[in-house]
Formats: sequence, structure tokens, C-alpha cells
Amino acid sequence: MTSTRAAKITTAQQSDSASVRGLIGKWLSRVFESGALFLVVVFVLLPIVWLALTSLKPMEVAYSTDIFFQPTFDNFRIIFSDASVVVNEGTNLERSVIGLNMWPSTLNSIIISSATVLIAIPLATMAAYAFSRFRFFGSRALLVWILTTQFLPAIIVAIPFYTLFQGIKLFGEPLLGSRAGLVIVNMAVVLPYAIWMIKGFIDSLPMEVEEAGYVDGCNDWQVLAYVAFPLIRPGIIVASVFAFIMSWNEFLFAYILGRDTRTMQVALTTTSGVNGIMWEQMAAAGMVVMLPIILMSLTIRKNFVNGLTMGAVK
Amino acid sequence: MYKSKWIVAALLAPGLLVVALTTTYPLLAALYFSFHNYKLTRPVEWAIQLGGDSLVTFNSSALTLDNYIEAFTDDRFINSVVVTAEFTFISVGLSVVIGLAIALLLQKDNLWSRMTKTILILPFAISPALKGYSWRFMLNENFGIFDLLIDVFVAGPINALISIWNALPFGDVPLMSTTIVWLGDSFWALVMLAFSETWGWAPLIALMFIGALGSIDSHIFESARIDGANSWQIFTRVTLPILRPVILVIVMLKTIFSLKMFDQVVTMTGGGPVRATQTINFYVHQVGFVRGLEIGYASALSYILVFVLTILAAGYVMYLLKPDYSRS
Repeated sequence: MTSTRAAKITTAQQSDSASVRGLIGKWLSRVFESGALFLVVVFVLLPIVWLALTSLKPMEVAYSTDIFFQPTFDNFRIIFSDASVVVNEGTNLERSVIGLNMWPSTLNSIIISSATVLIAIPLATMAAYAFSRFRFFGSRALLVWILTTQFLPAIIVAIPFYTLFQGIKLFGEPLLGSRAGLVIVNMAVVLPYAIWMIKGFIDSLPMEVEEAGYVDGCNDWQVLAYVAFPLIRPGIIVASVFAFIMSWNEFLFAYILGRDTRTMQVALTTTSGVNGIMWEQMAAAGMVVMLPIILMSLTIRKNFVNGLTMGAVK
Repeated sequence: MYKSKWIVAALLAPGLLVVALTTTYPLLAALYFSFHNYKLTRPVEWAIQLGGDSLVTFNSSALTLDNYIEAFTDDRFINSVVVTAEFTFISVGLSVVIGLAIALLLQKDNLWSRMTKTILILPFAISPALKGYSWRFMLNENFGIFDLLIDVFVAGPINALISIWNALPFGDVPLMSTTIVWLGDSFWALVMLAFSETWGWAPLIALMFIGALGSIDSHIFESARIDGANSWQIFTRVTLPILRPVILVIVMLKTIFSLKMFDQVVTMTGGGPVRATQTINFYVHQVGFVRGLEIGYASALSYILVFVLTILAAGYVMYLLKPDYSRS
């Protein structure tokens, strides 16, 4: 009798302490989880936030880890001005700084990226449509060939085009160091990628709609233009955004083949002066490079992973 | 369904032509260059001004294996191979491990994890060139924020403990030094280069893992828990085996991209200190466009890289096209 009661008491105590331990454990794991989540957010955002903060700092504060300062747009004025800029106006630190004149580079980046998208996407859409809707001899081999081009190191594209572009003239200017030249080499990266991506979109659309178009009496081109194209359009928009991001962020071709035609990526390197890199100006240029792309990638965030891995991981 | 057979050709031809011109042509041309002793004979700036192909000369038109033979005795090339291998190993390892950790952390569906998922795409949107500069700035030994964080969160607590210990009569431990010049030290420069790459890739890899984890039937986890498995056992015995194919694909993809590392080397370390972060691509660029304009030799070196990448890409493509691999 007593032994059973003792046994009961010990089990009660045990379960009691177990539940307390369980509570502490739960609480600890929740604290640990929140802490880890916080770390992830800091890890992801710190470089971006730090760059954004630095771009708004006056030069006197930029070379420190202070986070309290009077924000200023002086750095943005410096990088876009082609003359000297008066900074810290109205304070005793007023002085003038030579502008970096990044307008041409910004313009180059916009023109090159837009041209790349405008040329690559129609070509890619047409090819992707053919790959998706027709089974023909060698279609699989061609698709694999297109996929493998994505794994080429960019430098092996740059070397032959460097020598080729020296010899070819367009409107009296050698292609080497021209925007047209950079658009051409960008195709090597963007086009195969866009073909695969758009093909994925078309694959997921049922073919019946197009057949219905035939039943209604359209010819081949009418089906393409009035039935198929409107359906594929969302996919084309996502692919265009990706293509724009890829050509905007492209560095190696612009660095080697661009010469004096600098894109924004290469213009970043011009922030280094005699005293090393002017970090506050670099940060401002970095914001100009980064912000449009961040906004764009947020608009297509649902397609982000799929787009980048061409459907390999879903 | 379509009436005209020509429509296929008409749709395909322009795109395939451009792909062939921009990828297959350079591949073949570089192969040709790599078997020739081929140098640009004058400084590049002159060549651009004067134009014309007369400035680009073949010093010898005979086929030669010299470029490939030279590669295997070139200390700098061998150094770049070692650096690339080390970089790839560190960055792939870090990216996959941190990516998986983030994915497991964000598996729960609540407001915080949804918001965190949204910001995960940001690092990949930052261009590699800017990534390099941004990290170089943060790692600066005089005013970088990285040192501050290390001081406050790592060295500070450790040194506080050490000073308490040193207050004891027998305590004599030197304080932890916090003055590492991250990018001036050959070991840390490579690690930090890999870490900056991890910053860009780990969140993306986490998103891939989240997608893969979401497609696992949650009953599997429940039944494992009912069978008495603890979290660690569920992770090692259930989650990891299920994720294995996804991990394989991600490791292959990331390895391919790491082997091609170039942009951040230029903007973050410039290949230095000395040659500690010169990857293959960076060295090829030096050989071809900076050091001696040795186009033939640069082509041969990049072909060695292409050879390695081809093996990996073949594995990847075969895996992708395997019919029984469920990709729904």
C-alpha cells in the first residue's frame, strides 16, 4: 500500500518536473529561434543597409561606424555632376568636390540592358514556343546544347570577341568598346537562359486553346499572334525582368570589352582616387546600381527561385 | 496541329543562330587560339584607335601544344587552380550549410518567417561587382563595421572573461587581438571572399530548400515523431535523406558558379594579397588582357577550366533529364 503511494508520488513529481523542463525547453527553443531569425535578418540586410546609410553620410562621417548623422544627398550630386559640387553647404565644412559624371555610364547601362532585353526576348519567345509545341528531330539535343552554354565561363566568350570586335566596324567605330558590341556578347548569357525560362512557361499551358483557335478558323500566324502570345505574356514579362537584371549586373564583358563605354558596374571602379576608394561616393553609386534591381526582383519574387534554376529545383 | 512545317524553322532559326554565334563561335575560336602562339602585339589602347586586324598577329601560324604545356609548369596558374579549388570548397560548403539552416528555421509558417522569406531574394539582386565593394568596405580595418561587430559580439565577451580570469592570482592569458586586417591576410582574404559569395547565395539556396521542404508530405514528420524520434533524429534520418537529390543539384550548380568566380575578385581583393585570391578566371584575365596580351595562352588556360566545367555540367544535365526524377 505504502509502496504504491510512494510510487504514485514519485511519478507525480517526475511528471511535474518533466512538464517544467518541457516548458523551459519550449521557452528556450523559442528564444533560440527568435535569436536565430534575427541573426538571419541581420546577415541578409546588413551589407545593404550599411551601403544605404553610407550613401547618405557626409564624407566626414562616412569613414566611421557612426549611425547618427545629418543625412545628405551630396554624394548623389557628386556622382552625377560633371563639374565641381559644393558639399556641406552653409556649414563651416563647406568645400567643393569634383563630380564623377556618372550620367553617361547610367545611360549606357540603361541602353545596353534595354537593347539586350528587346532583342533577346522576342528571339527567345519564338524559339521557346517551337521547342515547347513541336517535337522534331534533334529538338532534345538542341535544348541540351542551349542549356550547356549557360555553364561556359564568360571569359572564353570575351577573348575571341575581343579580337573579333577590333576588326569589325559599325558606323565607322570598332565594335570593341561600343554599346552594340556589349549587347551582342550579352546575348551569350541572356538568350539561352531566356529560351529555357520561357519554354517552361509555355510547357505549363494547355495546347487545347491553340487548337480551338484553328477550329475557329485562324491561320498559323493568327494563332501565334492572337491566341498563343496573350497567354504567354506573363511568362514573357518575368523573363524580361530576369534578362534585364542579368545584363544590368553583368560585369566581366563590360570590364573587358567595354573600354571607354562604361556601364554602371564598371563605373563603380572609378570611385577610387589618389587616396583609395571614395567610399561615400561608391556607396551612392552602389545605391543607383542596386535600387532599380531590388524593386524589379521584388515584383517577380514568386518566380525567383524557379527562374534562376530553370526549373531544376521546385 | 500547325499547317506549315516551315513555321518551326522560322521560329527557331533566328534564336539558334544568335546562340551559335555568341557561344559556339567563341568556343571554337578559343580552341583554335589555344593551339597557336598568339599575342596582341601592341598595347590595347593603340589597337582600338587604329583599328584593323593588322595589329593582331599570329607570331607563328603553326599548330603548337606549347600553351598547354606551359600551363602545367606555370606556378601562377597552378596557384590559381589551388585558390579556385579552395574558394569553391569553402563557398559551396558555407552556402549549402547556411542555406539549409535558414530554410529549416523558416519552415514554420508565421508572419515573421514570411517577411524574412521576402528579404531573402535581396542579396542575389545585388550585382557581384557591388557585392565585392560592399564587403570590402565593411571589412576595412580602420572604419569597417565588421570589426565593430566582432569587437562587440565576439572579442568583447571573450576578453571580458579573460580579464576576470586574469584577475585571479595565477591568471595570465593574453587578450584576444581584434586587429586582423581581413583582406590583407592571405587566409582571411580568401575566406572573406567566399563569405561574401555565401552572403549572395545562401539566401537563394535557402529559398530552394524551402520549396523542396514544402513539397514533403508532413505526415512523414508526424509519424517519425510518433515513433519517438527527436528533432535531431528527424533531421538526420528523415529530412536529409529526402533532400539528398535537391542538395546534389544545388551543390552541382553552386560549384559550377564558384569555379567561374571573377567579378568580386576584381572589386573586393584585386587578386591579392600577393596572389592569395587569384582565381582561374582572374588569372586568365591577367594573362590575356593585363600582363602580356597573350591571347593564345589565355585561351588554353580557359579551356582547362571549360574541361572541368564540362564534366560538372554533363553530370548536371544528365541528372536534370533523368526521366524518373520527379520534378512536379
